[in-house]
Amino acid sequence: MAINWVPDHIPPEMVRDFSLFKSPGMLPAPNGDPHAAVACVHAGPPIFYSPYNTRDGRGTWVITRASDQRRVLQDAETFSSHRSIFASALGENWPMIPLELDPPAHGVFRSLLNPLLSPKRAMVLEPAIRERAVTLIDRIAAAGTSCDVMKEFAFPFTVNIFLRFLGLPDHRLDTFVGWAKDLIHGDHLKRPAAAQTIVAFIDELATKRRKDPVDDFMTFILQAQVEGRQLSDVEVRGIGVLVFVAGLDTVAAAIGFDLAYLARNLKDQELLRSEPDRIALAVEELLRAYPTVQMIRVATKDIDFEGVPIRKGDYVSCATMIANRDPAEFECPNTIDLARENNRHAAFGYGPHRCLGSHLARREIVIGLEEWLARIPAFRIKKGTAPITSGGHVFGIKNLILHWS
Amino acid sequence: MRIIVHKHKCQGHARCSAQAPDIFKLDDEGYILPGDIEVAEGKHLLASRGTRSCPERALELDATPAARAESDVIQPRGRRV
Repeated sequence: MAINWVPDHIPPEMVRDFSLFKSPGMLPAPNGDPHAAVACVHAGPPIFYSPYNTRDGRGTWVITRASDQRRVLQDAETFSSHRSIFASALGENWPMIPLELDPPAHGVFRSLLNPLLSPKRAMVLEPAIRERAVTLIDRIAAAGTSCDVMKEFAFPFTVNIFLRFLGLPDHRLDTFVGWAKDLIHGDHLKRPAAAQTIVAFIDELATKRRKDPVDDFMTFILQAQVEGRQLSDVEVRGIGVLVFVAGLDTVAAAIGFDLAYLARNLKDQELLRSEPDRIALAVEELLRAYPTVQMIRVATKDIDFEGVPIRKGDYVSCATMIANRDPAEFECPNTIDLARENNRHAAFGYGPHRCLGSHLARREIVIGLEEWLARIPAFRIKKGTAPITSGGHVFGIKNLILHWS
Repeated sequence: MRIIVHKHKCQGHARCSAQAPDIFKLDDEGYILPGDIEVAEGKHLLASRGTRSCPERALELDATPAARAESDVIQPRGRRV
């Protein structure tokens, strides 16, 4: 593989031929296991430089140890998350909020949004989540002995919950999922087009709710006060876009990876089906084994970090899927043990930007698996089909066809 | 047994509270309440599980003999309100 340009301050011996996009196992592949594929980095140095580890081919430092990722992500002063990753697809520069704000501005917005997605709130939403899961799975069970999990369950389930949370209409679910897919997994033409569509949609929604307030998320944001003032249009957009984008893909992917694992491991599947009390703990292990997100930070100053010369402006990658397979943090990290205790995995990140939706996401995954296992008998991957997995900034799975009898 | 709460490190994962909601109390945003926690006899196992579940290492078991001896007579530091 051709090595990209490497900045002068990076010693050649610290450069590795690795990329979350292009390394073996990362490109879309039938029956792939990209999480197992990235685990191979632990055979090498704890920190190295990858010359092509972003979508647009930029290099990043790759932090492999969970303890080092914790240090990076906890230190937002040195490692900023302000990258305008979404706006830059449009050639613009504004932050998704709160993700791309650094403290102290970050805390102001985080405090505004935290109560909406707290563990308590997730519990309040639980009956609606369960009802939605049951409706979908009953329909699948009644229709036959096979289904495409992503299309018929994972996406309609998670995206519906999420749209209800936002106060958006359900009948446009497929459209919204399409935008998110184009944005996260699309090419250099689809991404900016999707970004533009989403921004226009959020701006339009804000205009509508400003005129006719209703009881929903957007109205809440428009009426909210931070530091004694209302939010600016760019702030409303920054929040709206983040929440819209963050909720559409990752939880569905988690459910897909989890059901694919259970379809291939019938003993574990039967254990969880016969003892559903184990599901909550098992979901933590599945979150450890199959997380989906890579966090990237930008160094705000020169720092020598664990013997590595990180310079101002360098990108620093903290991939959850790498931290979660760190043998220094997890005993036998490549073994999936659904009864694993003391599982301090990094699926939702570390530090002040810890996934805002983590509590809702957890409840959705647990409830999704509970209801699926209670209603669908022993299932496997349908013969002649192969789920397609992919690496990248956000790991994904599609075309998961399950069969049961 | 006492649990030292490093409040500034808490990022609201709420794993401790998932293990033992009666021991690890959260505020409305989902972050741990400030102040160290004095754990009642009989709840040590749950408390240590909760402590070990924190991804940020914001909780610390203080099982030094001094702390144990004092715990009978001294109120927890930074009382929770």
